[in-house]
Amino acid sequence: MKRLLALLLTVFLLTGCANTAVNGIIQWGEGGGTDKLMRPLCSYTEAHLDGSISLRNMPGGTGTVATQYVFDKPADGNTLLLGAENPAMYDALGLSDLTYADFDCVLLIGSETVGVTVAADSPYADFASLIDAAKANPGKIRLATTAKGGLPWTVARFIESVTGATFNEIPYDSDATAANAVLNGECEVTVMKLQAGLDAAKDGKLRYLCMLTDTPVEALPDVMPITAYDSAFNAFLPWGPFYGVFVKKGTDPSVREKLTEAFRKGFEDPAYQKLLADLCVDPLGLSGDDADAWIDAWRKSSLSALNAE
Amino acid sequence: MQEFLGVLQNIIRPEVLIFAALGTLLGVYVGAIPGLSGTMAVSLLVSLTYAWSEVPAISLIMGVFVGVVYGGSRSAILLNIPGAPAAVATGFDGYPLAQKGKAAQAMGLACIQSFIGTLLGIFALAFLTPQIAQISSVFRSVDFLLLGLLALLLVGSVSRGSLLKGLLGASIGLFLGCVGKPSQFSVNRFTLSLRYLDGGISFIVAMIGLFGAGEALYQLSVDYPAVKQEAPKRIVPPIKTILKHLPLTVSSALIGIFVGALPGAGGDMAALLGYDAAKRTVRKNETPFGEGAVEGLIAPETANNAAIGGALIPMLTLGIPGDAITAVLLGALSMHGVSHYSLMTARPNLFSLILAALVIASLFLLLFGLTGIRVFVKLLKIPKGILMPIILMLCIVGAYAINTNLYDVLLMVGFGFLGFTLKRFQYPVAPVVLGLILHELLESNAVRVIRLWGNPEMFSFLTPILFAALIALPIISRICGRKDRA
Repeated sequence: MKRLLALLLTVFLLTGCANTAVNGIIQWGEGGGTDKLMRPLCSYTEAHLDGSISLRNMPGGTGTVATQYVFDKPADGNTLLLGAENPAMYDALGLSDLTYADFDCVLLIGSETVGVTVAADSPYADFASLIDAAKANPGKIRLATTAKGGLPWTVARFIESVTGATFNEIPYDSDATAANAVLNGECEVTVMKLQAGLDAAKDGKLRYLCMLTDTPVEALPDVMPITAYDSAFNAFLPWGPFYGVFVKKGTDPSVREKLTEAFRKGFEDPAYQKLLADLCVDPLGLSGDDADAWIDAWRKSSLSALNAE
Repeated sequence: MQEFLGVLQNIIRPEVLIFAALGTLLGVYVGAIPGLSGTMAVSLLVSLTYAWSEVPAISLIMGVFVGVVYGGSRSAILLNIPGAPAAVATGFDGYPLAQKGKAAQAMGLACIQSFIGTLLGIFALAFLTPQIAQISSVFRSVDFLLLGLLALLLVGSVSRGSLLKGLLGASIGLFLGCVGKPSQFSVNRFTLSLRYLDGGISFIVAMIGLFGAGEALYQLSVDYPAVKQEAPKRIVPPIKTILKHLPLTVSSALIGIFVGALPGAGGDMAALLGYDAAKRTVRKNETPFGEGAVEGLIAPETANNAAIGGALIPMLTLGIPGDAITAVLLGALSMHGVSHYSLMTARPNLFSLILAALVIASLFLLLFGLTGIRVFVKLLKIPKGILMPIILMLCIVGAYAINTNLYDVLLMVGFGFLGFTLKRFQYPVAPVVLGLILHELLESNAVRVIRLWGNPEMFSFLTPILFAALIALPIISRICGRKDRA
């Protein structure tokens, strides 16, 4: 009986702790790209805040579940949206009425480089041969995606609008399972972040056919930038997944600035900067109007691809 | 040999010893509380361990992993509330055993089997990793779909009496699994315009409601006295029992290792499939399955712990987490500067550290798993009028603890009444949970298969094997079945 009461007490304490802190809502699941960046950032930031940050993953609906959850909370800076790029396009994709325009950016962390990837033994020697094959067999080449609004899906729209090539898009649960589908031959091509595929590419298991950049990337200098295939891709660049910390619009500016200050200190911690470098994330460190302008530009690129569809 | 020395070197490190032991202790008790899942415990610990160095952090996490998978069985056996999803199958025969007054023996056996299962999983991880990774990485969507369908056949195993009632339960489960915004499509299904339901129905909320609250309500509605527990002479099962069931243990562990190694299928699926296989293959059981057969306890408890070693295999070789806990672990490792997809080749030291921590955790599992049982059994001596309301309260707290969301509590209460109604009219509850667990696996892979098979090449490649298997399987099982009866 005593033990049972002790158990109950523990549970109450645990849930109680969760309530006293600032809540950080991570938009994607445990162990994913967003999770990997947010958890350490918050732990470096906590040292510069009065309280702790209680983190929770709330995946689902390409991140709409978490976005809606934070939006439904009061604009008091106590609930943070730890998000990826997805909400910037929700309205355009019909996923949700909310976008980042409904939130204030505390800190824009960084963005990533992505590339079109095939298995090492793929018959497609280069990006041009892939596009030729896709045009010859419209909707037949199997492209592993992470569902509508995800990274490979968006890049497929860019490719479609510039080249007219279409794919048979197969949705997977995560970028890791999508990559595995390419490795085991279930799919022929996918789009991967540099971080996710760099080691496999260096080991000769995967090949990047091109990068979504206008100049070659440092880590894989031999892979051609997509603009070398067709300069029309320039209209969408720079483009890549980005990550940021947000609060609901209408949060008291002084509260937001306090948060920005703490998160910036966490962000500037050398250990965190090293993590960003290890994960091939280009640091941004923007907040306020600068962050809004950056997201607006990003959104315009993505919208132009959609409208061309 | 060098690897072996590496493991040995790690085992004798005091920090590995201390933190793996601490993790196991935490895991066993966190696992026993419904609503506090292993994934939650590990993510909580992971954020604590950022500032730590790699060795204590990984030792602690491995300890929790091992402890939590066993811990979930305690509440499943005692109260028919699985402490964690991996313990759902444990309740099928564990709870009837407790109802027969053998709760202590059941928990002792569960502990020993978990220990053996963990060890066999470690063995596979240490020696068969390349081979198993090879097999699990070639598993395609159609294979996952078939695995899901195979698991769905479990309805036959877990619905006692009327199969029709079981099918109805499974249909309810599959239907409830449809609620929310599916990952492949951006539409809301059956959400009744409630934003809360956009994320779907939490499987853990459903489990606490159906098994925990449902059982408590049912117990309060029927009038029979509390079961008198046999005073356990010994909690550790006799070595004869363990040896007698060694073949079952090994086959369950193999199922656990393999299912654990498949991305997206973890300890819960391993335990369910292990239970099902036991029910199909064991012939000379003293008690029928579902009424307190020890075989029905041995199989899932071995399989779910063996799945730990299995789940680590794709994580270490391909960078693909085998289940939710390994997904958190993978994220944690990247924070400790480990980001190569193949940790096996990039970080051999880490591999031996993980192995060492698992070995220590499994040893401490014996210690912590076999102690405290007598105290737990005393729970059952509490009069029903007092115990059941406490369980109801525990269910409420557990449901609230998942996300500190009051809607979860309301949904749990709803599931409680569903569970109660089903029990009241003698419909089995387990198929509902089964449907809920399997829905995602079935639907996402079915969508992929339909899209893939639009491609004729894929179709022609898979058809012969598939159809041969589909035709051969019933014939083989028919022949084997006849031999058995003869």
